[in-house]
Amino acid sequence: MPPTEIEDLLRRLVPEILGAVVRRYGHFDAAEDAVQEALLAAALQWPGEGLPQNPRAWLITVASRRLTDLLRSEQARQRREASVARWTLPEQWLAPSADRDTFGADDTFILLFMCCHPALSAESQIALTLRAVGGLSTAEVARAFLVPEATMTRRISRAKRAIKDSGVPFSLPPAADRTRRLGAVLHVLYLIFNEGYASTSGSNLHRVELSAEAIRLVRMVHRLLPEDAEVAGLLALMLLTDARRPARTAADGMPVPMAEQDRSRWNAAFIDEGVELITKALPLGTVGPYQVQAAIAAVHDEAPSAAETDWAQIVALYELLIKMSDNPMVALNHAVALSMVQGPQAGLALVETLRADRRVADDHRLHTVRAHLLESAGDLAGARESYRAAAHRTTSLPQQRYLRARAARLTSES
Amino acid sequence: MKYMILTYGSQVDYDGMAGKESELPAWKPEDFAAVGEFMENFAKELEESGELVETRALAAPVHTRRVQLQNGVAVVTDGPYPETQEVLAGYWIVDVESFDRATEIAAKLAKTPAPEHVRESAVADVRPLDDSPQEFDN
Repeated sequence: MPPTEIEDLLRRLVPEILGAVVRRYGHFDAAEDAVQEALLAAALQWPGEGLPQNPRAWLITVASRRLTDLLRSEQARQRREASVARWTLPEQWLAPSADRDTFGADDTFILLFMCCHPALSAESQIALTLRAVGGLSTAEVARAFLVPEATMTRRISRAKRAIKDSGVPFSLPPAADRTRRLGAVLHVLYLIFNEGYASTSGSNLHRVELSAEAIRLVRMVHRLLPEDAEVAGLLALMLLTDARRPARTAADGMPVPMAEQDRSRWNAAFIDEGVELITKALPLGTVGPYQVQAAIAAVHDEAPSAAETDWAQIVALYELLIKMSDNPMVALNHAVALSMVQGPQAGLALVETLRADRRVADDHRLHTVRAHLLESAGDLAGARESYRAAAHRTTSLPQQRYLRARAARLTSES
Repeated sequence: MKYMILTYGSQVDYDGMAGKESELPAWKPEDFAAVGEFMENFAKELEESGELVETRALAAPVHTRRVQLQNGVAVVTDGPYPETQEVLAGYWIVDVESFDRATEIAAKLAKTPAPEHVRESAVADVRPLDDSPQEFDN
């Protein structure tokens, strides 16, 4: 088996292994370290010696042995410090009773709920999820977020300590809490995807593909909860958004707006899968924000061109989304869609009301939209001014170049 | 031993890169793309040789806030730099054998395919990091 396949296999097994070890021995923080070391041992041995007969059992055994060592040395340290606290070594514990349900799916879920515990900051939730459920090494997580490895190490150990201190038991949250807690899990996965999708700068060498990792994790959740419409909606949203990635950036690194993208370069397989998911999810019950966003993405992805897009349907979907969340960026997108149905003046009227909203008044995206709408409305001087205002507010050089080029084109035309 | 390689630019330089005409000409799209590719390869090589600790590019000087005490009170100034004042624009921290190796790396930046008027005045500084606390750690 080639090393990349072994790596994939290991990453897939991580949540099960960690779940099994924590369930048996407790000590989430030490167990997590032990599992990482078992993975490392496997990555070193398996490519040369071949796969063990039962990779899962092999990993659990090695991780448990390593955990024993870790706890022993911790115990010795505590003895030296004359601490009264005593930990029980794993071999002294009773094995879990046979009637206890211990299959991997539950464990994966419990881990996700733990990593996305509301007591942790978003940064900690993301880092811990990628490590404990995604199976990434600390160095890989650090590189993905462009922070020094030492910083990421601290962030992860702080998160693990917070979990330890909170005394959260290794079990599913109570049923009454589960929907809210699942919402937190989905939000973390959404943030991971977004981080990967939004960052186009920097060297990509050795950089773990965060969007692909987020899609993999949501796929896993979707397999465990196939009937949950919001999980399906989030997976559809990610696929339908990621489908456009090949056409988003020009050869010279400049961003390409959706209207000008070469749609033949969109990922057709992702679009088909996303459309099928959202089509099945919508009738399942309560429609949530991920499903609505996925539905909007589906309308875009299925249109042969920007002009032939079903904008009226997109407007209606944005109106539904605005009712669900008070987000000025949603309102801005609504303004764009409305302008496609009723003309630029209708969009501009909405943008004007948004300019009073302090959360976006100074955001370059608001000025970019305003500039495009003014240009369509024929107010070239106003559009030029707005493109420049947007260029002034963004810190990204490629975006600034795009906006200044639009402004310059208007100068030469007028 | 760790060294920081620093490069500088003024708001006018940044405007040129962003495609804005001023007292200096705006960069052409091909200049911008060529420099982007050069910088990416430069960092990639350092990453592959295991010498790169980290590298960052800074946003334009106009996006700077300065915090300063005035009569004992911290006062914030937006955009404190004159248009043509050169300030830190980007850096690479490298972990290398010697000062000479760090200098050799910095010298490669002289090949940056920027427009001629930019190349003429561009400089890179190499400065050793104060690493002394780590030496006592062992």
